[in-house]
Amino acid sequence: MDQSTLALGVEAIGCAAFDAGIKGAFGYPGTPSTEGFEYVEAMIHAAPEGRVAHWAANEKVAYDMAMGVSYAGHRTFVTMKHVGLNVAMDAYANSALTGVRGGLVLLVADDPGMHSSQNEQDSRKLAEFAWLPCLEPSTVQECYDFTWKAFELSEALQVPVMIRLVTRLAHCRAALLRRPILAPTGLGVAPKNTIQDWVLIPSNARRRYLDLLAKQPRLVENLSSMNQLVPGTSRQGVAVAGMGRAYFNQLLLEYPALTALPRLEVAAYPVDPQLEQAFLAQVDDVFVFEEDYPVLEERLGLRGSAKVHGRLDGAVPRTGELTPRQLKNALSLIVSESREAIALDLPVRAPRFCDGCGHVDAYEAMQEALKNVGAPETRVFGDIGCYTLAAQEPMGAIHAVVEMGASISMAVGAAMAGQTPSVAVIGDSTFGHSGLPALLTAADSGVNVTVMILDNRVVGMTGQQVSQALDQVERMVLGMGIPQSQVQTLTPLPKQHDANVKAVESALRHPGPSVLIFRRECIQSMRRGVLKEHDRELKACAEQACCSEPASATSEARP
Amino acid sequence: MSDPRTNSRIHGIVLSGVGGQGVLSLAQILLEALRRSGLHALQSEIHGMSQRGGSVHAMVCFSQVPLTSPIIDEGSADLLIALEPLEALRYVSMLRMDGHLVVSEEPQMSMEAYPPIDDVYAALKAVRGAHLIDTEDLARRLKHKQAGGMALLGMASMFLPVTNEVWFDVIRQRFEAKGVSVTEKNIEAFQAGRGLIPVPA
Ligand code: SF4
Repeated sequence: MDQSTLALGVEAIGCAAFDAGIKGAFGYPGTPSTEGFEYVEAMIHAAPEGRVAHWAANEKVAYDMAMGVSYAGHRTFVTMKHVGLNVAMDAYANSALTGVRGGLVLLVADDPGMHSSQNEQDSRKLAEFAWLPCLEPSTVQECYDFTWKAFELSEALQVPVMIRLVTRLAHCRAALLRRPILAPTGLGVAPKNTIQDWVLIPSNARRRYLDLLAKQPRLVENLSSMNQLVPGTSRQGVAVAGMGRAYFNQLLLEYPALTALPRLEVAAYPVDPQLEQAFLAQVDDVFVFEEDYPVLEERLGLRGSAKVHGRLDGAVPRTGELTPRQLKNALSLIVSESREAIALDLPVRAPRFCDGCGHVDAYEAMQEALKNVGAPETRVFGDIGCYTLAAQEPMGAIHAVVEMGASISMAVGAAMAGQTPSVAVIGDSTFGHSGLPALLTAADSGVNVTVMILDNRVVGMTGQQVSQALDQVERMVLGMGIPQSQVQTLTPLPKQHDANVKAVESALRHPGPSVLIFRRECIQSMRRGVLKEHDRELKACAEQACCSEPASATSEARP
Repeated sequence: MSDPRTNSRIHGIVLSGVGGQGVLSLAQILLEALRRSGLHALQSEIHGMSQRGGSVHAMVCFSQVPLTSPIIDEGSADLLIALEPLEALRYVSMLRMDGHLVVSEEPQMSMEAYPPIDDVYAALKAVRGAHLIDTEDLARRLKHKQAGGMALLGMASMFLPVTNEVWFDVIRQRFEAKGVSVTEKNIEAFQAGRGLIPVPA
């Protein structure tokens, strides 16, 4: 066997981005996309040669940074999970109009089945919405090869190119054959005669929109080699994409009779309508196997010439992750004999807070304070992070979790509608990601909200990446206009419980906005020493008084 | 198991346990060992918020021919390796009729409503092809707290087409950074586990 590298699907994409000569990689952590950035970050760390890798405060910022690198004439790479693309959507949709200079490749990891997400939206729809190409690999090697292809396409067509994959492939580990590494090269900054393309005032934007639409046939043409029609003798066919393609290809090994089925293999969007028509002409019935939304299924169905089966008619379950068993069921294949079910009720083992996690102490203080002010039934607005676990019983401490940053704005809205007290709970990185504008509005409105910022100094849930808000939370809060007298920093430890309860009570009683910062480092990041070096430097810096304002609070808050 | 080097069947292993027990690390050792044995292998893992004590599982598929699906269907696993008894029960339906289960008897009770442990053991003993191992006792005997995972791997190795030489190489590579004594302790645990399974006919 070859001496190739073993890598996860997302890592293969990161690796290819490095090998294809990127100058800059950016992203915001989110399962299952995180390792894609971390892989390229580690490679860049080992051999910088002028390359940079940087986690951004949020996905939009990451995407904008990538656009800047592209504008400057270099290849660039940006990563996020599917819901992160909602945050970056303004940038992504408009970058279709500006176009790119250096190749820009966007990795988006979708999460059908919602293993660790709040929805299972399909990023292919967003690529279609933006009139941009989307490549969809089905194996780890394709993750790598398609990324190279994406850079070439991006530069040839002068548009950003999305690589879309799903959890199953993102977290599939397999052997990978790499190509020779390209050094980062520069095309030079976007030339003068293209400046107006990047200035999306209405007069330019109208022209660029027409350009984008006019580009569509070329786009289809350039992608056409990635999609193919494999003829067969049957009048029943299959259309497969992504993991549907991977699962079907494997079924071909186990059930050779399936080769009789004509099949449409899709790996790039938009798909050539002529190819779809040629396929449909060969069949009366089609089974469509794709992850998430019925994208191909709807397109093929609209043509009306064959009966199309998939998620819409129930041949495949309407929601959730696609499985090989679903393919077998849809195709009425005989499955192997199964064992009898275990005659025992198996309760789920839900994830829980790590032992000693400071979030628990913060929530306990909050719950007791709400009792003490006579409002134990208060509905608390939560946010996205480890602290979301508090929504589970028996703790039941937060009562809404929607999307990054929603806690503060929802609490402000509820307060405006008369809810008192109105409480928001948000983590430090989520606060940096989307809580800042919400807090600006909270301060401006002057309504009675209590915002608890659970500052564990890292992005706990996705593997303890250093938080962008590290050591800055107080200053950020004050900068948004919350008065100093209404900002308190607390240490969430059992021995501080009584003092913390009092502090929360006083914030709840205060008629305007107040902020409580509960700071204690994540147990996992402490164990791994993520911030050890940082804190050592900080301490040395404070001792030498080498800057006028030594970053506050970190040492004081250490448990 | 029929020797996968002489047939083209797709073989599968399911690993299960609780976040933090090392399920994914075992899966990676398996993947590497199978690959070095000349087989095509893929590994799939689901670890949303795994470090916080939820259920974790991984799958490893291997075959003589190149594979594209990282997951296997119910009733098609040759082997289930479970680091925790209750987590074993969740995946028994993945096993083939002639598949094997190697499972640690040591429960991780930190969850709501863990069923009575005797019911769990009874259910496990009723599984055809089950091999239970008292990892707690083994760890005590070997004076090695984390011996359990490696011992399970050792047991599992009796059903896999990988030579001892390859296993030791992969284990050594895995623990290299932690020093010679850690590596040797792990090899010792692996061999202790291996010794608990009679050589299959
Ligand atoms: S990873 Fe960190 S923040 Fe998350 S539950 Fe564990 S200790 Fe708490």
